[in-house]
Amino acid sequence: MSLVEIKGVTKTYQLGKTEVSALRGVDLTLERGEFTVVMGPSGSGKTTLLNIIGCLDNATSGSYKLDGEEVGTRDFNDLAEIRNRKIGFIFQSFNLIPVLNVIENIEFPCLIRGENKKELRERVQQVARDVGLDPFLKHKPDELSGGQRQRVAIARALVTQPQLVLADEPTANLDSVTSDQIIDLMLHLNREKGVTFLFSTHDPRVMQHARRVVRIQDGVMVDGSGSAQVEVDRLNAAQHG
Amino acid sequence: MWSLLSIALRNVLRNRRRTMITLAALLLGVGVMVGIRGVLNGLQRALVQTAVSGQTGAIQVHHAGYLKNVIASPLTLDMPADEDFLNKIRKVPHVTAVAPRILFAGMINVGDQTLFAAMQAIDPKREFDAVPLRKMTVSDGGRFTSGKIADAVLLTAELEKGLRGTPGQAQLPAAVLGPDKDGALSGENITIAGQLKLNLPGEKKLAVVPLALAQRLLKMEGRATELVIAVDNIDHIPEVAASLRRVLGSDYEVHTWDQVASFVKQAMERQNLILSLVATVFMILMLLGVANTVLMSVLERTREIGTMMAVGVRRGKILALFLIEAATIGLLGGVAGGLAGLGVVTWLEQRGIEVTMPGSAVPFIIRPYTTLTYLAFVVSLAAGGSLLFAVYPSWRASRMRPVQALAGG
Repeated sequence: MSLVEIKGVTKTYQLGKTEVSALRGVDLTLERGEFTVVMGPSGSGKTTLLNIIGCLDNATSGSYKLDGEEVGTRDFNDLAEIRNRKIGFIFQSFNLIPVLNVIENIEFPCLIRGENKKELRERVQQVARDVGLDPFLKHKPDELSGGQRQRVAIARALVTQPQLVLADEPTANLDSVTSDQIIDLMLHLNREKGVTFLFSTHDPRVMQHARRVVRIQDGVMVDGSGSAQVEVDRLNAAQHG
Repeated sequence: MWSLLSIALRNVLRNRRRTMITLAALLLGVGVMVGIRGVLNGLQRALVQTAVSGQTGAIQVHHAGYLKNVIASPLTLDMPADEDFLNKIRKVPHVTAVAPRILFAGMINVGDQTLFAAMQAIDPKREFDAVPLRKMTVSDGGRFTSGKIADAVLLTAELEKGLRGTPGQAQLPAAVLGPDKDGALSGENITIAGQLKLNLPGEKKLAVVPLALAQRLLKMEGRATELVIAVDNIDHIPEVAASLRRVLGSDYEVHTWDQVASFVKQAMERQNLILSLVATVFMILMLLGVANTVLMSVLERTREIGTMMAVGVRRGKILALFLIEAATIGLLGGVAGGLAGLGVVTWLEQRGIEVTMPGSAVPFIIRPYTTLTYLAFVVSLAAGGSLLFAVYPSWRASRMRPVQALAGG
């Protein structure tokens, strides 16, 4: 059974009196343990696709099965539960809760589902160690660098032991050295812990490491089984003229 | 729930300047409410004290049906005023004094000047035990109040002014005239002994005569039309009134001070209504400030709301988060305002405020005070009202779509 099975998914927005089709019948399957990149130009629909896969938004039509369960028709609270238990998110602008320190940000998703703080502490510290945040546990987000904040976001995404981690342009706000460190970290987590990652990115360094690249254009999947190296070469060629 | 509470409390401190401004508004509003209520409490206590200890007594006893006909001051509806009857009343627990009175309509004559007046016959020896503050309204050099001059009479300034047209008034003989039960007009010589000031609004042309003189004039020896009763504590008034009704039976009617001086009670009710209106306006203005603070907070933290939703926080908890923040601000502002108000009221209580009521010549001191119940009420109102006024912005936050919230609204 695939982790993600999407069939004929469409998404239409109403912008005033105009209907905008962001996705026009997308099919996608993700297996467990994949390290996959969704790429496409701005406005191609990749963020919309990630939002639907992340249960942050509902498809207008089509079917979406996560871990064998149809989730497209669930209500808000059911989807909140699914997001909490099965999906981790890493955002471009980190999206940490400013009033919480590192350790509190990491444990937050576990606390809202009622886990005991004391029992949780060991696991949270382990995840923090895994992402290299040991010396910063009591720091607030505004006392951390961009890379450190993204590490907190990664730790928060992993602490619930999700089946899928969605990362929307995770290196877009980071310098190249920090980007490499973050990519290495996610690769390590993918290889060592078997975490499934799905990225949306323009960053060739992310794509270089992807095992699979799917391309989306004008809300339609152009190629769902592309080789990462081919895509990197294509992107480099486009960037260098 | 604890993590939610902890986040809410930290968020209250997050934008300190805005929180401080909202708290200051609440402090001012609640403080003013406590202050106004405190002054009003003091005023009303002074009014009650003036009525109870200065004019009406705590309780009055009349012949059944008297109060319905009080304007005519009917002498036919009289009652005993002998020691046996008075002792029956004195034996009721918490009664401290009983004073008989006769109210009648009569005339005062000085020289060739005669004026109609409301007459009140009192026994100086007993009256000032039952209504001790009344002594302060008399300026007679002790001639009437001592009870030593049997024909001493007190006049209000209004009545005295009407009689002043008579030249050489002081040397002229004076008399009081009044019709008895059968309507036969009799007269008694009097000595104008001094002036009586009014301590509550009421009949301005009033003469106070000794009870014995009135009983002779009206052929009512050993009788009265009104008994004024003092009790040890005004909290015992209802209990004493009930006992008196039992002891005296249905031939007599027993009224508490607020039934007799209903205008005082009405004035207090009007004051309370005005205070409620002022307090409501204040409260609404304060709470709109809280609603605005929460709305600003929601708008500023849209992305954060989206993040919380993304990691699995349900709508109910987002709603609760903002409501807790609003209630916390309301509670803090309410407590601060309550304490500030309490401070001002306590200071005013010690200092005292001298006030003269319109229609009264006797000033009295208001000592404002407040109660723990009222403080708890305003603090709960501030916290509960903040919660209520925050419902809409908090609900808006909780109804956001995660995608829309993550995109910053």
